[in-house]
Amino acid sequence: MIRVPIARRAVAVAAGLVVLLLAAGVATLTLGRLGLSLADLTSWPPTGKSKFVLERLRGPRLVVAAGVGAALGLSGALFQNVTRNPLGSPDVIGLSTGAGAGAAIAALLFPGVVPTPAGALAGAVAAMALVYFSTGTGFRHPGRLIVAGIGVYAIGTAIIQYVVYAVERDKASVLTAYVNGSLNTRSWEQAATIWVVLLAVVPFVMLLSRRLTMSELGDELAAGLGAEPQRTRVAAVVLAIVLSAGAVAVAGPISFIALTAPQIARRLTRLPGPHLTLSALTGALLLVLADLAAQQAPIPVSLPVGIYTLALGGLYLGYLLIREWKKGTL
Amino acid sequence: MTRFLTKLIVALAVLAGAMLASIAFGSHPTSFGDVLDVLSSTADPNVATVIESRYPRTALGVLAGVCLAVAGTLMQGVTRNPLADPGLLGVTAGASAAIVTSIAFLGMSGDAVWWALPGGLLAGLLVHVIGSSGGGSGVARLVLAGAVVSAVLTAYVQAVTLSLPKVFDSYRYWVVGALGGRGFDVLTSVLPVAVAGLLLAAVLGSGLNTLALGEESAAALGANPGLTRALGMLAAVLLSTAATAAVGPIAFVGLAVPHIARWPAGSDSRAQLLFSALVGPALLLLADVVGRLVLAPTELMVGVVTAFVGAPALLLAVRRMKAAA
Repeated sequence: MIRVPIARRAVAVAAGLVVLLLAAGVATLTLGRLGLSLADLTSWPPTGKSKFVLERLRGPRLVVAAGVGAALGLSGALFQNVTRNPLGSPDVIGLSTGAGAGAAIAALLFPGVVPTPAGALAGAVAAMALVYFSTGTGFRHPGRLIVAGIGVYAIGTAIIQYVVYAVERDKASVLTAYVNGSLNTRSWEQAATIWVVLLAVVPFVMLLSRRLTMSELGDELAAGLGAEPQRTRVAAVVLAIVLSAGAVAVAGPISFIALTAPQIARRLTRLPGPHLTLSALTGALLLVLADLAAQQAPIPVSLPVGIYTLALGGLYLGYLLIREWKKGTL
Repeated sequence: MTRFLTKLIVALAVLAGAMLASIAFGSHPTSFGDVLDVLSSTADPNVATVIESRYPRTALGVLAGVCLAVAGTLMQGVTRNPLADPGLLGVTAGASAAIVTSIAFLGMSGDAVWWALPGGLLAGLLVHVIGSSGGGSGVARLVLAGAVVSAVLTAYVQAVTLSLPKVFDSYRYWVVGALGGRGFDVLTSVLPVAVAGLLLAAVLGSGLNTLALGEESAAALGANPGLTRALGMLAAVLLSTAATAAVGPIAFVGLAVPHIARWPAGSDSRAQLLFSALVGPALLLLADVVGRLVLAPTELMVGVVTAFVGAPALLLAVRRMKAAA
């Protein structure tokens, strides 16, 4: 009885997010010195300048941004559901820092031999393996997962800082930009990578979604309903790791999307449940907007998008928290 | 009482040993015998210079170790969260942001201490204001507020350092956290803040004991848990700011030492604070000695060593956490 208006609200929010995402996409393609006019955008097939902008410059970047944002948002929603912690995210369990450390080691020890994204992926995998084995129980206990994550995070940060300290300045600066997560000069191969990962993972997430909603009721109740909370949790963590590893391989460790997207989605719908679809849409929207800001910001240097997500995500989270605390709802 | 004294003497001896090691060992090989020669002023002047250059480094290590460890103990006592760490309060990010600002826009160089201090204090204050807005309190809020403030400040630091190569160059050396290359002047500039924090911590000892009984019991005993918590946080911010300003951000000492200190100290907060103040500097100095020896003749910064020693210890400790946690 009560579910009808609630579900309608979720659908309305999803539709709103899609519209906003499309608008942000059009803005990405049309704004700025190299932006296309709306007429260029609708004439098909594209020629000349619009072909260059669409196929080389901003097209792949936009598709990568949407895919990476969706993957991170979904991954964050899974992590937060499993750890029952609003701070649960691939950043917190050390995956992003592991990726950064992998990239740093590749740049320091094997310059030009191991490509940076491969190093990042190896680092992410190594970090997760370290977390997996040091908890002694795999991914089963959220508390242990977070503590082990803190340890791995610290090692990763130390490695990154040491490499940034040890190499010469230009290399250090390139590395710092990568470690923040960047979307500059993305290719269609990278766009394909992240979307293949997304499309491969999403069916499994959909299968899991009902059980995840049940597991929010607590382990005993969920077990009584046949949701097998332990196995559900392990499956969710594995899927979340695959999603964020894919995102890291394509764009570097972009921070705060995985953390904030589910929080925003939750507040938009005011519903219980893991908000998987809405978190993915919110993540995509956030990253596309952040990248739009990164491309159009009126400053002389082009900063990596990860810095914008960090600043904007941080400010937004702060605003949300203060507003809630004033209302006394948390 | 005598057992307590024994433990105290052992801890003091370990600290003294660590200080001696910090003076005796370095990337330039010298021996304990050389140290004795220098102390009795009969040494070769070159050796004397080498060894005397390790005095400020050792003194800074003691100061930073005491500050970080006591700050960590306060944080963990106040929040009753075994994972609380001074870095969570936004102090590190605030100090970083202030240092970057001073180099980038005010043309400062060198003595970053005077910028790191107010930066760290302001960020700590901001976290507290955000965390207690709306009249509430609670640990989760404070940690969330710390994460928010740190994120925004970190973004600022990254943006400035990536835009201005010169600033980046100074910043990347500071952010690693090192004891070397700093003089006694750094020590004297942070000393007042550190002493203020330590005095506050000493006064708070018994208040923390009451707090450990739980919010209601503490209030029923006539204590003022809110005041104790606020002052404890203030002391933690003062101490961790002093340490960060002096030697840069150093991970894990604040997190790990309280756990080590609980072993000899038991459940009395005052004893925990005392033992933290002894174990902290010993650990930091030993980590620094390891950093000097492991890659000699070059050095590994103490911040890197503490992370590599502390993190595996934490990973091992994870297994002993209760399965339900």
